[in-house]
Amino acid sequence: MKGKSIKRILLFAALIVLVNIALDLSFKAFSVHNILNRRMDEQFAAYNDTLKYLALGNSHNCINTLILENSFNYGSPSENYIQSYYKLKHILEKTGKKPEYVILQADISTYGPKIADRYEYNSYWIDYIDYPELARIKGDRTILTKWLEGRFFSYAGNYKDVQLSILYRIKIKTLEMHNGYRPHRDYKNFADETNKRKLAWDKANLFLTKGVYLDNSIKIYFEKILQLCQANKVSVILVRYPMTKEFNDEEMKIVPADKLFSEIESIASRYPVYKGLFDYHSIFFSHPEYFFDPDHLNIKGSDLFTRQFARDMENLESGLSAE
Amino acid sequence: MPLRVYLTEIALFCTFDSRLPMLFNSFEYLIFLPSVVVLYFTLPVKWRWLLLLFASYFFYMCWKAEYAILILFTTLVDYFVALKMGREPSRKKKKRWLVMSILVNLGMLAGFKYLNFFSESVNALMQITNSGYSFPLYHILLPVGISFYIFQSLSYTIDVYRGIQPPEKHFGKFALYVSFFPQLVAGPIERSTSLLPQINAPRPFNQQNLISGLKLILWGFFKKLVIADRLGMFVGLVYENPGEFNGLPVILATMLFAFQLYCDFSGYTDIARGSARIMGYELMINFNRPLIATSLRDFWNRWHISLTTWFRDYLLYSLPYIRDKKIIQSKIYRNLVITFLLMGLWHGAAWTFIIFGLFHGLMLVVESLAEKPVGRFHELTGINHHPGIIKALGIAYMFIMVVFSLFFFRANSLENSLILLKEAFDFSNTAESLKAMLRNLEFVFGILMVILLLVAEHFHAKYNLVKVIAARPVFVRWTVYIGFIFFVLLFGVLHQQKFIYFQF
Repeated sequence: MKGKSIKRILLFAALIVLVNIALDLSFKAFSVHNILNRRMDEQFAAYNDTLKYLALGNSHNCINTLILENSFNYGSPSENYIQSYYKLKHILEKTGKKPEYVILQADISTYGPKIADRYEYNSYWIDYIDYPELARIKGDRTILTKWLEGRFFSYAGNYKDVQLSILYRIKIKTLEMHNGYRPHRDYKNFADETNKRKLAWDKANLFLTKGVYLDNSIKIYFEKILQLCQANKVSVILVRYPMTKEFNDEEMKIVPADKLFSEIESIASRYPVYKGLFDYHSIFFSHPEYFFDPDHLNIKGSDLFTRQFARDMENLESGLSAE
Repeated sequence: MPLRVYLTEIALFCTFDSRLPMLFNSFEYLIFLPSVVVLYFTLPVKWRWLLLLFASYFFYMCWKAEYAILILFTTLVDYFVALKMGREPSRKKKKRWLVMSILVNLGMLAGFKYLNFFSESVNALMQITNSGYSFPLYHILLPVGISFYIFQSLSYTIDVYRGIQPPEKHFGKFALYVSFFPQLVAGPIERSTSLLPQINAPRPFNQQNLISGLKLILWGFFKKLVIADRLGMFVGLVYENPGEFNGLPVILATMLFAFQLYCDFSGYTDIARGSARIMGYELMINFNRPLIATSLRDFWNRWHISLTTWFRDYLLYSLPYIRDKKIIQSKIYRNLVITFLLMGLWHGAAWTFIIFGLFHGLMLVVESLAEKPVGRFHELTGINHHPGIIKALGIAYMFIMVVFSLFFFRANSLENSLILLKEAFDFSNTAESLKAMLRNLEFVFGILMVILLLVAEHFHAKYNLVKVIAARPVFVRWTVYIGFIFFVLLFGVLHQQKFIYFQF
């Protein structure tokens, strides 16, 4: 090969690297999810009150921190137990903050393989997740591509996020957030939907896999969370969040909920820090107007649910102190 | 952290992960291929075959190390059979060796791919007749690419028997012919007359090969990541849930599956051909714009060409069709149906594939019988003066037939394909379904990409886009290439979806 050809190839490769760096940095700076998650990180870093409740999980987690005192809602979009574990580990080991209770999401959809294999927003999670450890535990070498994505190619395959980031560029600047909680789901109402069952079916099939209700890696990381909490003496509360009846019906067609929760209970009850499963999944079955879509409460629904949850926590604590 | 990541990656890589074969659309391959290419051109010519052989076995063993024994076994049998045939002057004795090779290869294929299907079918029959006996079923994992490498190896022994190909004396080079990694798991099914001479000749580095190989790989990634895997989300949703959708979504899903399948498989072939070309090897063209074919016969001349020509050369032409030195037309038709039936079965051990093959075989017979009447009809109506209309009608006919057959090809079972076929003609909720589909960004974007693909292929066939771009100034060229690379990266579905043809 001639010297001129080598120079050209190197120049071409350098251009690719430069464009990649530019795209990667732009995505990291402007992605809507990154901005939201970073803002949540900033709020958590600035949180100096007593941290009694720390809520983890994905968008189903709708605890209103304005209602539940001394709480921080650290749930982020599509977060699974694997990501929750690494975030909790980071909090307990590196921030010097220690909650009294960790509120873990315990919906049917929390435990399936589709959720377990859903690693989104790696450019945010790269600061938390130990990808080599995760790859070893899962026995899956492809996990390491997620590390690469997070570190060098954050934009790759994320065109939807790019589109969202353009659309919500202005809106996000004024988006309200209080201790991680965002009261933002009021621009539509599930009660107004004409084909509720179909919407519920779509969502349930997005999360669940027929025949597999507890993914092995989720099981491992669930135990790791419990072990971490046990070591740090942090109590664990499992919460099954309210769902619409239609969504629940579709879920039950795919997954045997009784089997799943008896297995979850049997794992959790081995750890003294586990304080119980609070099941709210059916409390709003006759109130579709409290929902934004089949599986997310709107602002009113979140408020009502959080009040109920706060009362139940008070009861639990008074029961515990009586003991 | 990074160093630890690299070390863990290497460690994991070396311990192999049995969940997936090494996919072209994976990070591993993006390390594997350049490493092999650099080593290949660094090594002296006489040792290059050894590197490629090692790389090919490593590539395969990333999936299931123990299954490489099957490739080695096929290689050993066919290597010695060919040598024996080469030394044997008697045609009768040569035939015995050939029969042995066919029996061993097809026996292996039958054992790993068709045994359970056979047992299940017989058991179902026994159940109907209440005979009380049932064949045992085994948990056999289908070896990835078995149908491809066995057919490739078989073509060699048949060619040696026919005297077209001299027996290869170098075992290592023959082993490389059977296991050459770019085309090992999903073709194209190469002929020994084409690949073995390339393995035996020195392949010096050629800058043009490097550039055109990379372009082909990029185009393959576009088809696979941007189109096939995106369409697959919608198609999968409909086909994994038979009975849940009806009318338009079912029909559209099946139509889009035609494009998904094409982009998935031809994308794989492009990456395979591109990877081989970088090292100086030219693999055969496997697709020639099949979805603009004007008849089913035309379609099969353009679709999975390496397989259709394999069946044509080694099966169809070998079946008897002459009696008393006269060509018997009915026997030609019978042979055609048998060939397509077996071609359907080649795809998978299921009744759906048998129906798929049978349907195409029968329709090809119908097409042949209807050729003259249709020609007369064209004359009578005057359409023959409008070739554009004839072409459009031909494409529409071909597409409808192919899409109909895909109901069987894609469905998980015969029962599901019948449910989906029934649901396809229920047009209640059409407006609502259409609205829901148009709200789905992935769906709309997928269709736009299909249109882009068809337009690009049309202009490429007419003007050779590669040459048109290559003739532009360097600034324009590089902008196009870099823009396209990042377009694929941004809009690709990067979940490392398996290639559909891996299951065959």
